[in-house]
Amino acid sequence: MIEANSLTKRYGARAAVQDVSFSCAPGTVTGFLGPNGAGKSTTLKMLCGLAHPTSGSSTLLGRPFSQIPNPGRHIGVLIDASAAHSGRRGRETLALSAQLLGVSDSRVDEMLELVGLDKSAAAKRVGQYSLGMRQRLGIAHALLGDPELLILDEPANGLDPEGMRWMRGLLRDFAGRGGTVLLSSHLLHEVEAIADRLIIIADGKIAAEGTRDELVGDKAMTRVRSADDHALRSALRGFAIDVSVADDGALLAEATTEQVGDVALSAGVALRELGSSRAGGLERLFFELTQGADADAPSSDPGTSISAMEASSTLQETVR
Amino acid sequence: MSALASHTIPTEERRPAFSRLVTVELRKMVDTRSGFWLPIGVAAITLITVIISALVHHGHEATLAHLFRNSLMPGSFLLPILGILLVCGEWTQRTTLATFTLVPDRGRVLSAKMAASLVFSVGAFVVCLACSAVFAELVGNAPGGAGGIGIAVLGQGLLFLMTAMLIGVAFGAAILVSAPGIVLYLLLPTIWNALAGAIHSLESVGNWLALGNTWSDLPQGNLSGTQWAQVGTTLALWLVLPMAIGWYRFRTRDVN
Repeated sequence: MIEANSLTKRYGARAAVQDVSFSCAPGTVTGFLGPNGAGKSTTLKMLCGLAHPTSGSSTLLGRPFSQIPNPGRHIGVLIDASAAHSGRRGRETLALSAQLLGVSDSRVDEMLELVGLDKSAAAKRVGQYSLGMRQRLGIAHALLGDPELLILDEPANGLDPEGMRWMRGLLRDFAGRGGTVLLSSHLLHEVEAIADRLIIIADGKIAAEGTRDELVGDKAMTRVRSADDHALRSALRGFAIDVSVADDGALLAEATTEQVGDVALSAGVALRELGSSRAGGLERLFFELTQGADADAPSSDPGTSISAMEASSTLQETVR
Repeated sequence: MSALASHTIPTEERRPAFSRLVTVELRKMVDTRSGFWLPIGVAAITLITVIISALVHHGHEATLAHLFRNSLMPGSFLLPILGILLVCGEWTQRTTLATFTLVPDRGRVLSAKMAASLVFSVGAFVVCLACSAVFAELVGNAPGGAGGIGIAVLGQGLLFLMTAMLIGVAFGAAILVSAPGIVLYLLLPTIWNALAGAIHSLESVGNWLALGNTWSDLPQGNLSGTQWAQVGTTLALWLVLPMAIGWYRFRTRDVN
């Protein structure tokens, strides 16, 4: 259980996070989505007592983080995988925390095995780790105390496609056993496959939240090209179906592919292309909600421009 | 996670014991590459210092008390730096993210670091005493053998090392970044001494507030009441004040 109530963090006049409220239920994976600089990490740090909110409060498992006697036994946290002492060996990094938490040393080896860090990798100093290995070590660290709640900031960063598939399975399984997961990402495709619910944050504020279906709405969207778009358009409008024109000239009808096909048949218009564009609906929504925030985000951060580029290219593909 | 998560925190749950926090802090001091070699380096320099001071007068002044006093010098200089690194290392390497999510009460973390420094100082004291005892026995030919050592010299020597390392912890907590922490620790007392030397009206307060004077006379043993008061005021300025600032900053600063 996570409850955030009007969390606000100001740095001088600038609000990094503004009035952010949400909750995460047991058995679910919540994706915290937004461009870099939108306030995701700051929010997660406030949940974990690492940053102090200017106003607002939060509870984890019914208590403020600071009031939990041995939080590592309940809450697994990974805020930044690169935040490990580079001169400490991988296994020792976990063993230290295991000692602090009061879990057995054998748990360390179990977790190393779970995340796929073999003996030779565990014996290396963290400074020699790739980002993907640090990410795995960070996840092992988060799972060390056998928690029922996971808070992960950009856990997919640096993971290869195989690693991402592995993590997706791990988190789904965790939630399947009743655990609560909150993970953040600036890349939609990373979270949409794992998360049950999405919270989209832009410019420090929650721009939208809900399940994927709630966010996209249950309106179906169909892309269609035909031999006579003009006639098809009038025919669709005759059936009270809203039609718009995409950048590349294709029609976008707010109807299912079946409905559009039927209308085309009845109107005697030959179809050239017909497809559901629903898959792109979320991507378009994310792009629309975060577009303004992207411009404000620090331009030195390459992740921002990449996510914007990816979003816009997918948007164009959807429209095309 | 076990099959059925309770999603509540048992009311009887205890915080990790303070002794465990201290053990973990001591482990952190030596389980990194630099952490492993620094104490060995301090011990080696202490040993070299003892050997040199034992040989330099062909053993004439190599009494145990003399060697012991000299053996404290490297530690009194290097333990504060270890103390600074003990606190700042976590902020610089950003392991505070892990530490504070496991122990949210940061005051306990800082207290554990102070306790760990005291334990470490005792270790350093034992190394100093052992080195000086061995060489006083081997080389010492002063009249009356190697000579005894007063309990006051031993006790004040230990206090000297302990406060030295705590001053480092205090500076570390107040500044929180390794390099500026070390630089300021080295510069501020020097600047103070230079000022006290240059400005006549400051000269009289020098003994009361300069680290180089009465405080470093601690291992001499016989201190007068006034001198103890001077040790107290010096430590108030260089230990208590930065520790108070550090106690506030360490506990309230946002972790990045």
